[in-house]
Amino acid sequence: MSTVDLTIEICGMSGDGTIAAGVLLNEALSAAGFSLMALDSYPAEIRGFGRCVTRTRIGNSEITALSDKTNVLISLDDEQSQSRVPVLTDDAVILFDNKPVTYISEEKALLPMLEPEMNIFGVPFGDLASQASGSRRGRNLAALGGFAALFGIPADPFYAAIKKKFGAKGDKVLESNLKCFDAGMEFCSKAHELKKKRITQLGTNGHSSEKQLLSGNVSISMGALDAKLAFYFGYPITPATPVMEYLAKYLPERGGRLMQMEDEISSIGAVLGAYFAGKRAMTATSGPGFALMTELIAHATVAEIPAVIVNAQRGGPATGLPTKTEQSDLQAAVFGGPGDSARIVIAPSNVRECYEYTLKSFQVAEKYQTPVVILTDFFLHNRVENIDTPKPDINDMKDGNVMPDDSSKNNYKRFENTESGISPRAVPGMEGYIFAATGLEHTEKGMPDYTAKNHTMMSEKRHRKIHNALDDLPKPEEYRPEGAYDIGLITWGSTSGAALEAVRLARQNGIKAGMLRVGSIFPYHADEIQEFMDKCKEILIPELNFEGQLANLIGHLHRKEVKRFNMVTGIPMTAAEILGAVDKVISG
Amino acid sequence: MKTSGRETARKVQQIKASENFSVRSDNLPTWCPGCGYFGIHQGINNSIQELGIPHHMVMTVSGIGCAGRYPFFSNTFGLHTAHGRSLPVATGIKLANPELTVFAVGGDGDGLGIGGAHLPHASRKDININYVMFDNSIYGLTKGQPSPSTPTGTKTKASPYGSEGNPLNATLMALSYGASFVARLFAGDPESITAALKEGIRHDGFSFYHVYSPCVTFDKGYKTWTNLKKNVHPLPESHDCADLKDAMNAVLDDNFSMGIVYKKF
Repeated sequence: MSTVDLTIEICGMSGDGTIAAGVLLNEALSAAGFSLMALDSYPAEIRGFGRCVTRTRIGNSEITALSDKTNVLISLDDEQSQSRVPVLTDDAVILFDNKPVTYISEEKALLPMLEPEMNIFGVPFGDLASQASGSRRGRNLAALGGFAALFGIPADPFYAAIKKKFGAKGDKVLESNLKCFDAGMEFCSKAHELKKKRITQLGTNGHSSEKQLLSGNVSISMGALDAKLAFYFGYPITPATPVMEYLAKYLPERGGRLMQMEDEISSIGAVLGAYFAGKRAMTATSGPGFALMTELIAHATVAEIPAVIVNAQRGGPATGLPTKTEQSDLQAAVFGGPGDSARIVIAPSNVRECYEYTLKSFQVAEKYQTPVVILTDFFLHNRVENIDTPKPDINDMKDGNVMPDDSSKNNYKRFENTESGISPRAVPGMEGYIFAATGLEHTEKGMPDYTAKNHTMMSEKRHRKIHNALDDLPKPEEYRPEGAYDIGLITWGSTSGAALEAVRLARQNGIKAGMLRVGSIFPYHADEIQEFMDKCKEILIPELNFEGQLANLIGHLHRKEVKRFNMVTGIPMTAAEILGAVDKVISG
Repeated sequence: MKTSGRETARKVQQIKASENFSVRSDNLPTWCPGCGYFGIHQGINNSIQELGIPHHMVMTVSGIGCAGRYPFFSNTFGLHTAHGRSLPVATGIKLANPELTVFAVGGDGDGLGIGGAHLPHASRKDININYVMFDNSIYGLTKGQPSPSTPTGTKTKASPYGSEGNPLNATLMALSYGASFVARLFAGDPESITAALKEGIRHDGFSFYHVYSPCVTFDKGYKTWTNLKKNVHPLPESHDCADLKDAMNAVLDDNFSMGIVYKKF
């Protein structure tokens, strides 16, 4: 089978059932065995009131990023879809409603804007739905049926998706939706017999898989649930809110408790309280909320209290671009807060890692008695990938806390300066281990002490501890090592997927390109990063922020100045854009 | 039977090591001589002692300020958090281990100024925390600036022409936020503090103790020992602490009546 790499968009007005159709499309194509990534855009995100767009990219090999071009446009509303024309490929396939219920004036029509060499299919979605079910509401289903017919995808995965979505709403609803789908499928099978021959028939991609469609939001929540999270404290903020909403529903049935707090300060405060008393606790927020948390995060580093904090980055600074994606909180995550408050910052790159990193973060936070910041972003939280259903690694679930032994009873030093920097941690309720923790500099026993000698010793202890955590943090991963490179990309977070595609393309074009993906932002694996840098003539760090925040952090490790590729467009980088930057560096 | 000096010393050591000897820790309070906080300290310690709560089952959470240092002077588990944040931290602790008796302590600046957003929510969530506000109407640790409960026109280094704004009435605030147990107390009367705490600790819900306390170093005119001793008096015996309207009226009518103002049954 030839390579499949298609981006399918559904575009409509809110109320057209656009997002619902996108969900069904993703479910069906995933069940049909394709690798998939999808991202929805809601009214607030795109200029023009009420426009909804879903974008789905499928392939028969791994899909790691979205594409900047669209191969298939399913238009549920002519006027809204006009905005999508510039991203269509020359041979795009377009399905549109050629018998809309309201009159569409010339300047609002889609058809006149399309190029004649495109594959254009007028399908009376509304009429078909109306004939099949007695209502035009099912026109989005008729559109999906048409799409399936044109691309030769069997109906079964769509039926399954429709049953999953509408099954609970009763036989009547389910039946009418299935009928609408069938009507669209039948119409396109017959009416467009000739033109259809120009379209590559997809069928299915062999193995019908066990894969599950997950967003970063759900993946993080599942990781927390499997880690046996006991408490979630949070405050609503885009784009982190869905984590709270998911856990609000599922945490109680796992024996945990969720409490919405009055602000982000009290959210992190309650997390510290619960963890101080020995229970796993977390919160999720975005840039502005994270800024409020930094004082207590710094407090937790010195009082040595574990915590797990998700920072789902959005466009900044300040309130910034709440519904756009950016990677501009790296410095705040690593350095935010008063004083030398070293903490652990990790950044998953894809939906699978959202689960894995979250699951493991609790153990790391406990073992090193420090806050762990999981740095994600809008794109990673909202995009959908089909991945194997995550299963917890038993080792990653274990309690990381080291309890004091009997010998220290009645003479307990909570902040004992050990070789590893880790001091055995008692919790309230343990007889003979009474102590007070504080945000003041303190002695091994926890009493305030501002002397030069003590502050130096305790600062060294805490930093030693954080750097010892490197062993437990995700190692940098080099993509298919090939010796020396003319250019090496170092990436982090959600941009990594597009960078990976860019490196593959660069290699196809004969460029000796390498890539190192960094998962642990702080502390970072300086030796491994430097080893990779030494193999590269040039280092390029692509990031969705203005100045290059990872470049600022690790750039000094390279023997010459690292090159930066930065965008603050609020939308994910594409492989084509990164490839352009690679070409520019190579050609000097 | 005569015991040797060494043996007595060993016994004293043993008694001291046993937790129930005293809730006071070995660390001497750093408060100024004559500070009202000593009385509050005694009142809290005696309540724990008299209720027979094992010290390792007591958790004291504080914010920043003179009162923030409290956990170091108490032989209980302690957490000295950031400025104003004792209540959310105490919330997490109490939820995580309901067996613990949890105190949150802090001053008027900590609880009415920087941490003012937390009192309403701790009150309405009604989690079993004992919040003791040490109200001396001044920022003491930073050397005497006006606080949210300082009377209008008070002259300090930070308000040489008199402080602005009306003082907050923490007792009234707690009542209106729906706190289910509210007491107003005087640092010079540790017995009353102990009595109120003993009732509040056993009350299954959020308990707020508003304690008037002199700052002998920076307050020369308002909550001085002389003024407080002259003005404070118990709530009238007829006061019905089960009635919220009565409680509010009592607080509105008289700024210096002390005792358990309100208790939700």
